[in-house]
Amino acid sequence: MLASILASGLAVGAVYALIGITYNTMFSTSRVMSFTAGQLGMLGGVFGSLFILRLGLPVIPGLLATLAVCALIGVVTEIVAVRPVLKSLDQHLYVLSTLALALLIQHATALEWSTEPQPFPRLLGLGAGIWDEKYWLPVVACIVTILGLEYLYRYTLVGRAFVAIAEDNFAARALGLPERNLRMASYALAGAVGALAGFSGGQLLLAFFANGPLLNFYGFIPVALGGLGNNRGAVIGGLLLGLFQQAANFMVGGIFSSVAVFTLFIVVLLARPQGMFGAPQARRV
Amino acid sequence: MPITRRGLGLAAAATGLAVPALAQSEPIRIGWLAALTGPSSAPAVGFNRGVMYAAEAINGAGGVKGRKVEIITRDTQGDPTKAVNATQEMISQLRVHAIWGPTNSGESLAVTAIMARAKMPNIHPCVVDSLIDPAKYPNAFRIAPSNTQWDDAVRGYTLNIAKVKKVAVIGDTTGYGVSAANASATAFQKDGAEVVYKANIDATQPDMTPDMLRARNAGAQAIIIWSVSTGMIARLLNTRANMGWDVPFIGHPALASGEIGALIDKPANWEKVYAIGYKSCSYDASGKLPPRNEELLQRLQGKVNLHDTLLWWVACGIDAVDLVAKAVEATGSVTKEAITGHWNGLKDYPGYFGEYSFTATDHNGYPVKDVVMSAASSGKNGTFALAPGYG
Repeated sequence: MLASILASGLAVGAVYALIGITYNTMFSTSRVMSFTAGQLGMLGGVFGSLFILRLGLPVIPGLLATLAVCALIGVVTEIVAVRPVLKSLDQHLYVLSTLALALLIQHATALEWSTEPQPFPRLLGLGAGIWDEKYWLPVVACIVTILGLEYLYRYTLVGRAFVAIAEDNFAARALGLPERNLRMASYALAGAVGALAGFSGGQLLLAFFANGPLLNFYGFIPVALGGLGNNRGAVIGGLLLGLFQQAANFMVGGIFSSVAVFTLFIVVLLARPQGMFGAPQARRV
Repeated sequence: MPITRRGLGLAAAATGLAVPALAQSEPIRIGWLAALTGPSSAPAVGFNRGVMYAAEAINGAGGVKGRKVEIITRDTQGDPTKAVNATQEMISQLRVHAIWGPTNSGESLAVTAIMARAKMPNIHPCVVDSLIDPAKYPNAFRIAPSNTQWDDAVRGYTLNIAKVKKVAVIGDTTGYGVSAANASATAFQKDGAEVVYKANIDATQPDMTPDMLRARNAGAQAIIIWSVSTGMIARLLNTRANMGWDVPFIGHPALASGEIGALIDKPANWEKVYAIGYKSCSYDASGKLPPRNEELLQRLQGKVNLHDTLLWWVACGIDAVDLVAKAVEATGSVTKEAITGHWNGLKDYPGYFGEYSFTATDHNGYPVKDVVMSAASSGKNGTFALAPGYG
């Protein structure tokens, strides 16, 4: 039982963590919590299944095509649902615009793809039992993503420009950084990360249009637990969430595990409103 | 020529005199509330093939006492609001003589009272028990099993044919899944069986191992499923195989959905799975349907595609149109009272889907003995093999 909890808990936790990183990546350059993050995860599974199973592409080209299409959807999100409301961030209109786009994506997927879960291909054909690839692929994808992002932010010019925009938007613009282009690039990156979440977890979650809201909710929790904008916090929060959820599934059953998860979430936020790894923000008065 | 009040009165009288002659030859208008597009459109697409086939067959044979059958279809897209609007249109503008559908319970719950107010003769195949109540809805007749009848059939097969006494009852977390699982567990206990495990599972839960382990540890000898979620069912079947457990799955027709075949890890995972089916549309050990439907199948060949639908949907659609036509033929009238009155007296009407009987106090027309269990993975031309144990 413990092995099952660890295997599936870490797998779904890694998917949640990747969606958390998707939220953070979009938030860092725009200060917007885009509720399309979960839909990008859902599309990762759907496009993966479409390209590999239906269109017959090999795995690597199928993955690259999935990442590219979702990156494009990330850019469209920025243009359609984020840019128009950036001037009135304090009115939180982005909640409405990104939720509307998320619903649009979900319904379009239901109409054009299927309302029933569709199979997702076996990618490598490795492992069995608790060592099956469906359990460890999301964890590997999560590790690769967090290492890649660390490299990007620390050692590349574009990554440093992202950090600069995230730290102080106005100062970065004053220095001549192309803020709009960088924001679009960060949304493309978020689209690819979200797609990777759905693609690597496709064998667990299947290619199903209703995965979007699920990933939106459970992907948001690591962000809140780990601290907004903190990718390392999102990874730790996501993995802990997956393990706790799966342990609750075994101990108290499916319906009550959701109750347990949200109870823990509220308790943690009551104790540390800034998240487990976030620092309290000072506000000048 | 000036228009005078007297002239208008004469014209109206002349039109009135002509009405009876016109009524004798006017077509029999059947409203068809069909969710032909959108989610859950598969059943209506199947029903529609039967409806069109029946209408063409009747009209091709000269109609009903010289009257053609006219099918007036409105696509409700599975949306109760659209179903309400279409019903209002059929009653007040199109002036149909009877309505067939809707074909899902959500829509039917929204329109049943509206049809009752208009006393519109209505046949539908929806399973929710409360949709049939001859006191409240004397115009509404069901030609498919109710939820209770499904439940009875599953319990009957489990206890009397599979000879299982310890069951695990599993539903999904939808309103239907919760209420069906509760009703099923209560009925099993009432019949002396032991419900060793009961659970409602979120259909999107990626790993079903916890629930299957608990069911096995509790000593379940059969898993009773109440869910339409093919993803959840496929995950449960894959988990059963991974556990090396050969417990039978018995329950909802969705267990036999073709989608499951694509979602299971290997075809063997779909063995020992028995879904609700119908005697009229199930083939025996020799691969034959009951004679009447074997003959129907021959007639449908080349005219109605059965590869991507179920025979019972098509047969039920044919029966619905035939029932209206027979009522008009028997009474010589298209009035609401005549059609409803005729149906109230039907006994063992030989439809293709079932033998229907109605009385003034019972509008559940489908015989429970015709609800059987099918081998879920045996789908062939929209028909299924009978589950093991039937004589």
